[in-house]
Amino acid sequence: MGKAKTDKADGRVALPADCRIADLATVKAALEAALSAPAAVLDGGMVERVDTAALQLLAVFRREAAARGVAVEWRGASDVLRDGAARLGLTQTLELPAATPA
Amino acid sequence: MSTVSLAQFHQTFFDESHEGLDAMETALLALDGGGDKELVHGIFRAAHSIKGGAATFGFPDMAAFTHEAESLLDELRDGRRAVDAGIVELLLRSVDCLRGMFARAQAGQPLADAASEALRHELAAVVGRSLAPAAAPARRSDDASTGWAISFRPHQGMLAGGNDALRLLRELGELGELKAEAELDRLPGLGALDPSECHLGWRLELRGDVSRAAVKGVFDWVEDECDLTLEPLPGAEVHHAPAAAAPAAAAAPIAAKAAAREAVAAESSVRVGIDKIDSLINLVGELVITQSMLDTFREDFDASRLEMLQQGLAQLARHTRTLQESVMGIRMLPIASVFNRFPRMVRDLGQKLGKQVRLDLVGEQTELDKTVLEKIGDPLVHLVRNAIDHGLETPDRRRAAGKGDIGTLRLEASHRNGSIVVEISDDGAGLNREAIVAKALQRGLIASGEGMTDEAVADLIFQPGFSTAAVTTDLSGRGVGMDVVRRNVVDLGGSIQIRSVAGQGSVFTITLPLTLAIIDGLTAMVGGEHYIVPLASIVETVQLRGEQLRTVTGGGELFHFRDSWLPVLRLQDAFACGGTRRAIEQGLVVVVEGDGARVGLFVDELVGQQQAVVKSLEANYRRVIGISGATILADGSVALIVDVAGLSRQMTRRRAA
Repeated sequence: MGKAKTDKADGRVALPADCRIADLATVKAALEAALSAPAAVLDGGMVERVDTAALQLLAVFRREAAARGVAVEWRGASDVLRDGAARLGLTQTLELPAATPA
Repeated sequence: MSTVSLAQFHQTFFDESHEGLDAMETALLALDGGGDKELVHGIFRAAHSIKGGAATFGFPDMAAFTHEAESLLDELRDGRRAVDAGIVELLLRSVDCLRGMFARAQAGQPLADAASEALRHELAAVVGRSLAPAAAPARRSDDASTGWAISFRPHQGMLAGGNDALRLLRELGELGELKAEAELDRLPGLGALDPSECHLGWRLELRGDVSRAAVKGVFDWVEDECDLTLEPLPGAEVHHAPAAAAPAAAAAPIAAKAAAREAVAAESSVRVGIDKIDSLINLVGELVITQSMLDTFREDFDASRLEMLQQGLAQLARHTRTLQESVMGIRMLPIASVFNRFPRMVRDLGQKLGKQVRLDLVGEQTELDKTVLEKIGDPLVHLVRNAIDHGLETPDRRRAAGKGDIGTLRLEASHRNGSIVVEISDDGAGLNREAIVAKALQRGLIASGEGMTDEAVADLIFQPGFSTAAVTTDLSGRGVGMDVVRRNVVDLGGSIQIRSVAGQGSVFTITLPLTLAIIDGLTAMVGGEHYIVPLASIVETVQLRGEQLRTVTGGGELFHFRDSWLPVLRLQDAFACGGTRRAIEQGLVVVVEGDGARVGLFVDELVGQQQAVVKSLEANYRRVIGISGATILADGSVALIVDVAGLSRQMTRRRAA
């Protein structure tokens, strides 16, 4: 299972394939680290499973980033991730890209 | 005609109609597989009785609805229309709709709602009549033709409890067109966030012909873990009666909960066969005769008539015992009432998941206590859902595994050694040992999976830690873990076991007591007091020597029992009744099993085995941890009944603290 990784230099966070409540501690740590970079890049292209807790964490992250003036960019978002966000009414909050290029 | 005088018959009408609806559903399912004329007649008769009753007892909405269904059934009966899958589906939906109407009738709510009206029009359209909207019964504010405005605020712990809001909203989205707006006002900062807590809330708009019950149904399992309000969306077709609308809308948030409670209260009646009543009257007659015979001894008694007196007393004892059994029998109902919901559920689930399932029901006439019956429904539903969702494979996977396309799910109830045994077995894939061990390792439930027996591995799925969050959606799909199933069964004084063979399927065996009102128990003395240990939980009684006891740090005592070390629980300490026998040789250790754990209970001595009529301690005094009830002994003194599961739970907590 891929773990969330942050590269401190460019604030890049790759979300794991199983992005659910049980594994969010590492994701949270990675997101916190990403906030210390001038700009953060989220890669959600590998996400195969997602739940409310994960999407809530991402929403909190986006708000925190906005408050601190850290720019956040999506490098990819899987269908699962986008579907979950849409169902929870969080697409706008997360500023997810409309669709990923195939 | 006064409706007040008729109200007393409502419960009977509801009970009978529920049976009628069950019969309709069963017949419709049979019809689905190509049935005969007699089935159609049966369905027609049931619908006709409900229509007649509804009209008589003042439920015009229900009568109007049933009338349309009856018209359609009439055409089927006369052969003017052929039965097809579409018709069966429509009629099954009508049965569901009528059930909803009955639930609302019992809760004193308006009967018709948007969904029922839509279905009524659909039925009419099928028989080639269109109904003028004006002919529809007066709508209430409760009837939203366009849908519901839902405010859903989960409590913080809901996600950690395994209930994913995303899954709930997904289910809700299947009912109609769902628009979700997240409420972000309670979100903390990133540093302060515990990812397992829920701080989100939602304002939802569900558009479509959906009944309140259907919406509530989605939130059934999280009722106590969220704040939920439901209000009908304002729609053009809804005519608000101003006087009635305001209170109804205000009551909406609590209405559903109150309805559920009322429904429970309303259903607490038992319909008893006349033969059972007759045999009771007969027995009471016998008792009176015996008593008058014994009465004659009061006036003149001498030693020569001693034998007659003994005979009379023996007769009295026999009749009392039979009377007791008969009275208990009144509470006994066939398990069919629980089993009957499964054919429909299995059919719907199978269709939804693209699996072919054959359901075998065996032993539906097995009788068990009404209380047990009411509480066993949910765990069984959960196990059946599990079996279809995760046990049985899709047809192509079955073919790949060399099995037939159709999976078999078997529910069997039987009496065994004074208990009820319910088995849920499937011929699916069985439990995935590797996946379970991996999950348990990750959760820290076990240190290593090596050397564990298959039974021990299977048992892991019942562990509370196993079924949190991420795992539950994999294993159950409903967010409620197997630990809840086990707890429900244990609360009923039963136990649950699992056997599974990879590739061949799983068998869940639930063992339940026949009744909760009488238990077989072993009477033990502790510090001069009588305590009763339920026989069902006793494994063995042993006498220990001092050297067999090991003391561990923290004051706990252990002894060796069949390849494992069990803790000793001194009842004199647990219940603070100050026994004098401290040395282990002076008393006995009763090895009991409760909640999956074994404990040795140290008592002074055993008095004997007896049946105890359980009296609720909670109702007469208050709840006491470790005590499940009380009983009156032959000499009039009170003996407390030991709650083995409660004691062992408390012990585990204390050790953990």
